[in-house]
Amino acid sequence: MFKSLSTQSAALKAALWLCVIGLPFFATPAQIDIASQVWLAAIGAISLMLLTGYAGQISLGHSALLAAGAFSVGILTKEFSAPPWVCLILSPVIGALLGLLFGLPSLRLRGLYLAVSTLAMHVLVVYLGGEYETKRGYSTGIVVDPPSLLGFTVQTAVQWYFFLLFFAALAYLLVRNLTVGRAGRAWALLRTNETVASALGIRVDRYKLLAFVISSAMTSFAGGLFAYYRGFVSIEAFSIYLSIQYVAMIIVGGMGSLVGALLGCAFVTILPYVIEGSMAQLTFLSSQAGAIFAVNYAVFGILMIAFLIFEPQGLSGLIKRFLPKRSSD
Amino acid sequence: MRQQLALATILALGSTAAYSADTIIGITGAITGPAASSYAPAVDGLRIYVERLNKAGGVNGKQVKLLIQDDQGEPSKAANNAKKLLQDGAQIVVSASLSSTYAPIIAEAKRAEVPVLFAGSVCPKEVFPPADKLLFCTTAFTAEYDSRAAIDFVKETKGTNLKLALGAMAIPVSRGGIDFAEGYAKSLGMTIVDKQIIPPTAADYMPFATKIKSAEPDLIYSWAPWINQVRTFEAMRKLGWQNTFVTWGHLEAEEEMVRLKDPNLLVLGANALFFNGDLPIHKEIIAAAKAAGSTSNPNQLTEGWIAGLTIETLLKQIGSDNSSERIRSAMQTLKIDTKGLRGGPIEFTPTNHFRTTQYYRIYKWDSASNQITIPKNWFKYEIDPAGAGSR
Amino acid sequence: MQLIVNIVVLTSLYALVACGYVLIYRVSRVLNMAHGELMMLGAYALFATASGISGNPVIALLISAVLSMFIGLATYQVLMRRLTGSSVLAAVLTTIAIGILIRGMVVLIWSPQPQYPARLLGLENPSLAIFGDARISMLSAVLIGVTVLVYSGLFLFLRFGSWGIRLRAVGQNALLAAQRGINLHAVFAFAWGISTFTASTAGMLVAMDKGLDSTMVMIGLKAFPAALVGGLDSLFGAILGALIIAVIEVLLIQYVDPLLSDVVPFLVLIVMLTIRPWGFFGTREQLDRV
Repeated sequence: MFKSLSTQSAALKAALWLCVIGLPFFATPAQIDIASQVWLAAIGAISLMLLTGYAGQISLGHSALLAAGAFSVGILTKEFSAPPWVCLILSPVIGALLGLLFGLPSLRLRGLYLAVSTLAMHVLVVYLGGEYETKRGYSTGIVVDPPSLLGFTVQTAVQWYFFLLFFAALAYLLVRNLTVGRAGRAWALLRTNETVASALGIRVDRYKLLAFVISSAMTSFAGGLFAYYRGFVSIEAFSIYLSIQYVAMIIVGGMGSLVGALLGCAFVTILPYVIEGSMAQLTFLSSQAGAIFAVNYAVFGILMIAFLIFEPQGLSGLIKRFLPKRSSD
Repeated sequence: MRQQLALATILALGSTAAYSADTIIGITGAITGPAASSYAPAVDGLRIYVERLNKAGGVNGKQVKLLIQDDQGEPSKAANNAKKLLQDGAQIVVSASLSSTYAPIIAEAKRAEVPVLFAGSVCPKEVFPPADKLLFCTTAFTAEYDSRAAIDFVKETKGTNLKLALGAMAIPVSRGGIDFAEGYAKSLGMTIVDKQIIPPTAADYMPFATKIKSAEPDLIYSWAPWINQVRTFEAMRKLGWQNTFVTWGHLEAEEEMVRLKDPNLLVLGANALFFNGDLPIHKEIIAAAKAAGSTSNPNQLTEGWIAGLTIETLLKQIGSDNSSERIRSAMQTLKIDTKGLRGGPIEFTPTNHFRTTQYYRIYKWDSASNQITIPKNWFKYEIDPAGAGSR
Repeated sequence: MQLIVNIVVLTSLYALVACGYVLIYRVSRVLNMAHGELMMLGAYALFATASGISGNPVIALLISAVLSMFIGLATYQVLMRRLTGSSVLAAVLTTIAIGILIRGMVVLIWSPQPQYPARLLGLENPSLAIFGDARISMLSAVLIGVTVLVYSGLFLFLRFGSWGIRLRAVGQNALLAAQRGINLHAVFAFAWGISTFTASTAGMLVAMDKGLDSTMVMIGLKAFPAALVGGLDSLFGAILGALIIAVIEVLLIQYVDPLLSDVVPFLVLIVMLTIRPWGFFGTREQLDRV
């Protein structure tokens, strides 16, 4: 029916958009919630893809940055009665500051010191969050009201779905523009060979830092959204495993590919529900106490290893292999 | 005759309209995940209770359908679970998980006007007077009253002229409880010589214990997750400190007391320990657990069992109309016979969804008789209806 | 006096764990993020051996130790080997994945309940009085002894053992070493084996002293500042780093605020990264000027 490949891919894109926009109208509330979680995670996945896939740096700091954004919203709301638009602008600023603070020491160095630096960031943020909660009496967490922006309150599941979808799309466009621009080219080069990049006059350290700061700001922003979406902020939600989940997203999705980030985040977010669903079919859930989360961990571990060893291009690489090749005309 | 038949048919149809099918209860709990060992038994307890209930014919001829979801202690999962349970028709949502999962569950349940029963995890302040219409709690422990009971017991047995050290874990709930204990003990005239807040990630408790020991306390009170309490205790003993250590009886407490065999470890609890094993209710639980092939230790199933008792009492009270509105209104005033599992009944009133009276016991190991004994049997605290104690 | 005892015990623990990071980093520049999990796996191996194979402490410990060395060798041979040659990034990511996998497997196989291997082995862990009024648990004393043994062994081995020399050679210049006929894969595998062995030993001792549960992986994380402050490729640095971090922790708990004992070591790490990223005794890394 469609002769040329570009029409085919355009049609595919249109179909995808139709599904994405139409989903809330025929899905159950639980499913809409899962989809919304995917869009929220997408922001973090895209920002991590920027840092690791493009600029080649490992970060274990996503959990801390999400926490920082969420707590910014919580603290600003409770202490200063700040309106949502202020909170949503300040949370990425806080993220950027954290990125600067923990990026500077480690990004001057060749090698993977950022991973260690972000571990330190994680420990510090967890400590600060816990202190705030205890000292201010929010031992079971900080409750946050639904945000009102421009007179419009985001409350229902469907509203949240589109709200989060909007920001995910925004994140995508932002990073896409960055990566095709000058910064993107610099990152591509320094990822492959820092010595060469430096010899060519690229300020390697500055570009690494830039990637980390932008990535951190985006992730913090996602954390702020998370606070409003859950209506709730508590430090226990932010463990190091959360950081690892984001790392899994970009590994599974395929590094260096924005589409990969989306695929990976959808996969990683939805997989636990799939595992749970299938385990419920197989065995009676409660008599297998201890099984499910461990299965999650094990499956994630195996998947990540498998992709790293056999398919570094991740899901996006797999898909590319199966797409029809352009005929040589 | 025909008229009577017609009338009967109409009546029958009318009552079937009011007759809804099974009662649906949803539970989201940390069945797996890092916190599972503290909460999974509660879920198991409820499951076994409901299974047994259904086998015996249910309540008023209706079965209780229990939908179980695992939230692994994660707020996002819990939110999703709540949505799923509600969309599957849950008329009560039970929660046995970390307090970080509460807010999303509460938000979802409120939207659907479905009551939430906290069974196994710390009671949120909204269940204390003036209670939120939809939130209820049957869990044994609660920071403030526990601390009050412990300190009062210390005052009773050792007076107030003593040096007390406090121990907590660096999580907000535990710290809140110990902060309260500090204030209360001071108000009674006790001297607080140290307050140790130990990070959950501590590799070695010796340095913390050393600090406490150097303050030379006469007594230590610790209110935190069990692992923290027991490690602090063991470290103190390793350092040669032999005085009294008062702590909360989590579900692991009974077994651990047997393992530790320490005559100066005092455990404050609100549940009846099983060593009493002759309590009919304990025999019941052990038998039911065995029949259901449960892998949990029966002496850890109490919280879940009490949730089961709560639900059965509620359903018996409302009779044949198990509609959601009826459930909601009936829960406001409920009296649950705990059959000896607690010191007395659990009573809800429209303003108090915690219980009107909280009962405590003190347990301790006795080396002479080689078993756990009860130095102080059930003593109680009336929950302040004005809501002064709301944590 | 008790403080000094506490410091020495904690130093030994961190040093024993840190030397594993150092060994692998030295030969391959890979940060093994699964080190904490491997430590935990070793402890569970002891538990499994004790409950399944033999209740005799000596036999159980020996079997577990050998087992853990094989686990290390196997981890390299089956997984990490395929990544040799590709970027270090991919290798480190793989270690993260391995860590998660181990966490899952451990709970699947043994349940999340805390375990007490010492009880299984019938080992008493009495509190010994030393130097007057200071106390130390017997197993903590054993830990100190083991750490001393391990480090002495490693120093001698690296200095004089033929494989030790190869290890050092590969660490200094892998290409040259390979050209001289050294089997790189064998050396890497060996490093992984020893690293896992030392980590497991630490894990087993901690498990017997205090108990075994999944929070043990945290020790692996906390040993990071120790390794880095000393220098990620220096064994001697690991001891020094462990000492510094242990001193900071214990003194903070005693005189300042116990909560800070978790955070400050990592702040020290950041400071170290800023002023002297290669630690006290590490080889200078190349620096890009900011």
